[in-house]
Amino acid sequence: MPQKPDSKLKTLKTEHEKASDELARYKLLVDSIQDYAIFMMDPHGYIQTWNKGAQKNKGYTASQIIGKHFSIFYAPEDIAAGKPSKELEIATNFGRVEDEDWRIKRDGTRFWASVVITALRDPNGNLVGFAKVTRDLTDRKRYEDALLNANIQLKAQQKELQLLNESKDDFISLASHQLRTPATVIKQLLGLFVEGFIPDVAEDHMSIIKKAYDSNDRQIQIVNSLLKVAQVDAGNVKLQLTDCDINQLAEDVVAEFSDTVAERRQTIAFQTNASDAAVRADAKHLRMALENLVCNATKYTAQGGAIRIVVARKGNAVRIEVIDNGVGIAAQDIGNLFEKFRRLPNILSDEVGGTGLGLYWANKVISLHGGTIEVMSKPGRGSTFTINLPQDTVA
Amino acid sequence: MKKILVVEDEALLRESYKLILSTEPYIIAVASDGKQALDMCMQMRYDLILLDLMMPKLDGTMFLEKAIDEQIDLPKVIVLSNLSSGDEIAKALMLGAYKNVVKADLSPRQLLSLVRYELQSV
Repeated sequence: MPQKPDSKLKTLKTEHEKASDELARYKLLVDSIQDYAIFMMDPHGYIQTWNKGAQKNKGYTASQIIGKHFSIFYAPEDIAAGKPSKELEIATNFGRVEDEDWRIKRDGTRFWASVVITALRDPNGNLVGFAKVTRDLTDRKRYEDALLNANIQLKAQQKELQLLNESKDDFISLASHQLRTPATVIKQLLGLFVEGFIPDVAEDHMSIIKKAYDSNDRQIQIVNSLLKVAQVDAGNVKLQLTDCDINQLAEDVVAEFSDTVAERRQTIAFQTNASDAAVRADAKHLRMALENLVCNATKYTAQGGAIRIVVARKGNAVRIEVIDNGVGIAAQDIGNLFEKFRRLPNILSDEVGGTGLGLYWANKVISLHGGTIEVMSKPGRGSTFTINLPQDTVA
Repeated sequence: MKKILVVEDEALLRESYKLILSTEPYIIAVASDGKQALDMCMQMRYDLILLDLMMPKLDGTMFLEKAIDEQIDLPKVIVLSNLSSGDEIAKALMLGAYKNVVKADLSPRQLLSLVRYELQSV
């Protein structure tokens, strides 16, 4: 049934009111937004509207800016490069353009702006203007720049440290080789007396020669340790992986230390619960790491003490425990045991023992195998050093 | 009697090696660099060579290279150097050296044991 004229007018009025209400709501929405500058421009870039966010962001009131060209916000170098017109051209051709760059406020200060310009078209596709939404991201930009600068500085420092480290490694390596040669001569010459190649040496003379021989030997051990650490630090240790029977290796180390522990009236024993304790490992390096742990155990265990090497398989991994009932380690010292040159005082001996490089080196070598060394200890009760080895070393 | 050639540029070491090895029934010859050793190997066939690496004139690896070039049939060569790893040792082993021993680790007795052991198989 056709509508009556007054009824049609009423409907139109209601629709007009609804449209007006909707427009007012949108205007309120856009005007109220303070974090974003939102405004419209005509097809040539002249500003037509201005919201509160734009005033807050750029410092112009609506009356100061409406009718002005939007290039007023661009830096002189961008204007000279034709950036404002290029951005309008891109928005016209592709619908929108995004940019992040410095823009200028009314007071001349710069701010880092995130900008989106969207082309506005009527239902027939004719360009009627542009909407521009700008957000001030200066704080984020400063934070990013600070982070970037810090990162650049950090990388430069890293590079410098790396060069220093390489130069230090080269120096240690060269010095170690040069030091070994005279020490080798001393070892051979004094060894002629100590090992009886030259007979009839008076006992008191021999005692002095023996001390000199031992001292020279200790120097060679220090040089060897320095060299080993320089090599592992420089990444020059390449593992030679073979199928390595850990039970056999542990038994060999026990046999090797049997004389040493006998001299110290200690005992050393080997136990295993793994019928198959084979892993892919570098037998030579692994053995040296284990020897290091056993050597420490003998040094830090009193006469009459007991040392055990216990091998166990845990899933695919193999575990080697070196257990002693020696002096133990204070809780505060455990965390930095594996640091370079870290030496713990030994209440059992006045002598300065070791170089402080053995555990550092052992830990590095076990890490190269993809394994770990763990420590559990109680002062006065003893220590357990555990080497955990994966079955298949990734090297 | 087995003949051993000691190639070592450090005079004191060379003489002490000679003294130590002479306590067993070996014939000991010494050379102070690779060039001298090469000349000696052209004249005589030895049963074992103890070879230092870092030497003047002709170093250890160059001695091995030259021996190959000159088609000298070298006996078992034990590298006795104070380099414990690195390119020079790898090169020496590639050029036919049998093994490398760090000489700072050897006492006179250990040197004798090493030589005795290595001579068993030649």
